[in-house]
Amino acid sequence: MTLASTADQSMANAKPRRGRQALRVSIGMILLLPALGFLLVFLVIPSLSLLSASVLTQSGSGDIGLPVTFANYDRLLFSSAYQKVVLRTMSISVWTSLISIVLAYPLAMVIAYGRPSLSRLTMVLVVAPLVVSVIVRCYGWQLLLGNNRAGVLNWLIALVFRNRATIKLMYTEWAVIIASVHVFLPLIVLPIATSLARINPSLVEAARMLGAPPWRAFLRVTLPLSVPGLTAGVTIVFALTASSFVTPQMLGGTNASMLGILLEQQAMTVFDWPMTGAIASVMVAIALCSNAASTWIIGLLTRRGQLGGRK
Amino acid sequence: MRPPTMDLALSGLVKSFGESTAVDNVTLRIAAGELVALLGPSGCGKTTTLRMIAGLVQPTSGEVLIGGSRITHVPVHKRNIGMLFQNYALFPHMTVAQNVAFGLQMRRLRQSELREKVETALAMVQLKEYADRLPAALSGGQQQRVALARAVVIEPALLLLDEPMGALDKNLRENMQFEVRQIQKRLGITAVLVTHDQEEAMTMADRVVVMRDGRLEQVGTPKEVYESPVSRFVASFIGVSNFIQGSVVAADTTGTKMRLVCGTEALVSETGVTDGERLLSIRPESVMLRVATPGETPGLNEVIATVEHVVFKGQTTHVHMRMRDGATLLSNLSGTVASRLLPSLGAGTDVIASWSADRARVVLDS
Ligand SMILES: Nc1ncnc2c1ncn2[C@@H]1O[C@H](COP(=O)(O)OP(=O)(O)OP(=O)(O)O)[C@@H](O)[C@H]1O
Ligand SMILES: [Mg+2]
Repeated sequence: MTLASTADQSMANAKPRRGRQALRVSIGMILLLPALGFLLVFLVIPSLSLLSASVLTQSGSGDIGLPVTFANYDRLLFSSAYQKVVLRTMSISVWTSLISIVLAYPLAMVIAYGRPSLSRLTMVLVVAPLVVSVIVRCYGWQLLLGNNRAGVLNWLIALVFRNRATIKLMYTEWAVIIASVHVFLPLIVLPIATSLARINPSLVEAARMLGAPPWRAFLRVTLPLSVPGLTAGVTIVFALTASSFVTPQMLGGTNASMLGILLEQQAMTVFDWPMTGAIASVMVAIALCSNAASTWIIGLLTRRGQLGGRK
Repeated sequence: MRPPTMDLALSGLVKSFGESTAVDNVTLRIAAGELVALLGPSGCGKTTTLRMIAGLVQPTSGEVLIGGSRITHVPVHKRNIGMLFQNYALFPHMTVAQNVAFGLQMRRLRQSELREKVETALAMVQLKEYADRLPAALSGGQQQRVALARAVVIEPALLLLDEPMGALDKNLRENMQFEVRQIQKRLGITAVLVTHDQEEAMTMADRVVVMRDGRLEQVGTPKEVYESPVSRFVASFIGVSNFIQGSVVAADTTGTKMRLVCGTEALVSETGVTDGERLLSIRPESVMLRVATPGETPGLNEVIATVEHVVFKGQTTHVHMRMRDGATLLSNLSGTVASRLLPSLGAGTDVIASWSADRARVVLDS
């Protein structure tokens, strides 16, 4: 045995835990590298390039350079045509999220608490839209929501109420909202169901025994304890709706144009990269803010009235 | 002040889950202020019975009456029953004070009154300074005390306890048993305790209900069920007992005479026993021993047995024996008797085991 290897060994003996821990950490880092590299090349760098483009000026020949300007953001957020699209994007996303929450809870409760067979069936039905291509799904909604008698919904209404009036859903914001709820519902149902299943059933029983009718037990115990799933779900639904492109394109038409469509126009038709960058940055900002806002609002709602009786 | 406490009556309570019957025709009357323990092996229907009283399970048939009025179809939240769960079931997102306040909020109490009651309840379980903590920051024993405060602060007509001490370690469990019992007595709340720990049932309950396969096997004070078990099941579930097979040959108002399989006869002071095949049940601490002289035949209230092994347990010494018919016999000798007898009780020694007539019981072999 050489001197060096003995020294090595004694050092290893002196700090075996530290050494092993360091080894474990570095192995972890090595395993992370591919993912980090991928994100760096395909997410971080393009994002930074778009972000920087958004505050630069594009010359007539298409070169992007100085001076630094916030004109694009100003145009996007304060000129009436663009502002309308930003606000519409937010309102469609908010409505989609709210409707999804209301529809998600009953479904999630069936999945979490229902008989196994019923639970599995519901799960399959909820997830089904995800396996259909977005284009096919939108064609489906076009057939269902068509504004004249050819639309299945209007045909049904005419059949049932025997009147000539039709309701106009196609090429409005509501068509986009309905289709978005349809496809994004599983993404909120599943996290909520997971959260619900984790709640100890005796908590609800305890609430009931303490005098809470079913709906109060739900509001005071089940709902607050399912918040982790709820915030995760809302964030996903909101972000995906706000950034959707195909659905508003096919169902919203020009009346319900959203930021995604604007983005595509600016990038692929107008070739205005600074404006594209500004739109993309605003979309990301909306998604991040929605997460913060929903967490804050939900926290506020669930904390209120935890203590205190009749005033 | 507290409303007067109420009595509880179960009448012909049945609960079936599909083919199987979890609770089978349970009829029981529990006096106001009494603590009754439902005791029995796992799966005998204790929890199901308790949950039917709570309203968490709807009975297949039968009635639950509190204070004389039928509540079988009253929804859970209108029954005014406090319950302690084995896992405490404290609301994890509320502080201790908020947990205790919950039931009062459901009753729409005025703010000032609510705070006062929460404080009193927390003081009762000595957790006043923990009011603003979350349950996760409390020990198991403290959590169960919060649950107790939360259950009694609503001044329930009834307190239900489903193995409330099951998750606590032995010392803490004994403290909690004492504390729960003290508070239950002081408030005079009628209480039903579910447990499969016979010691817990014996120490806490005014009366013990031994359940078996969904039916009531025996109801009585802890002393009654220990000293006068009706069946082999009860005698061996509550404590340990020796069983000697035999048949009742005569029974009158002065006692019962049994012929035992080992040939001897036993005279038992118990009366009112019907004829037929029975078991004689004798607690190990009631079995006295003496070394048999060669050729000795056992007399009345005696059997002959051979020592198999002796286990020293500190306060008592357990002598394991085998009778002539192959059945085992156990005698727990107290310290002084053991030290006198022990030198002569090597394995293989023939001994005469005896008991006094008032220490033996005639029980059903079931
Ligand atoms: N929801 C249910 N569905 C089907 N069977 C059930 C249900 N609840 C209880 N049972 C059955 O009823 C019987 C009694 O159950 P119960 O929980 O009352 O027993 P227990 O005496 O409380 O037992 P343990 O000491 O293990 O808690 C068991 O055989 C159980 O399998
Ligand atoms: Mg049980």
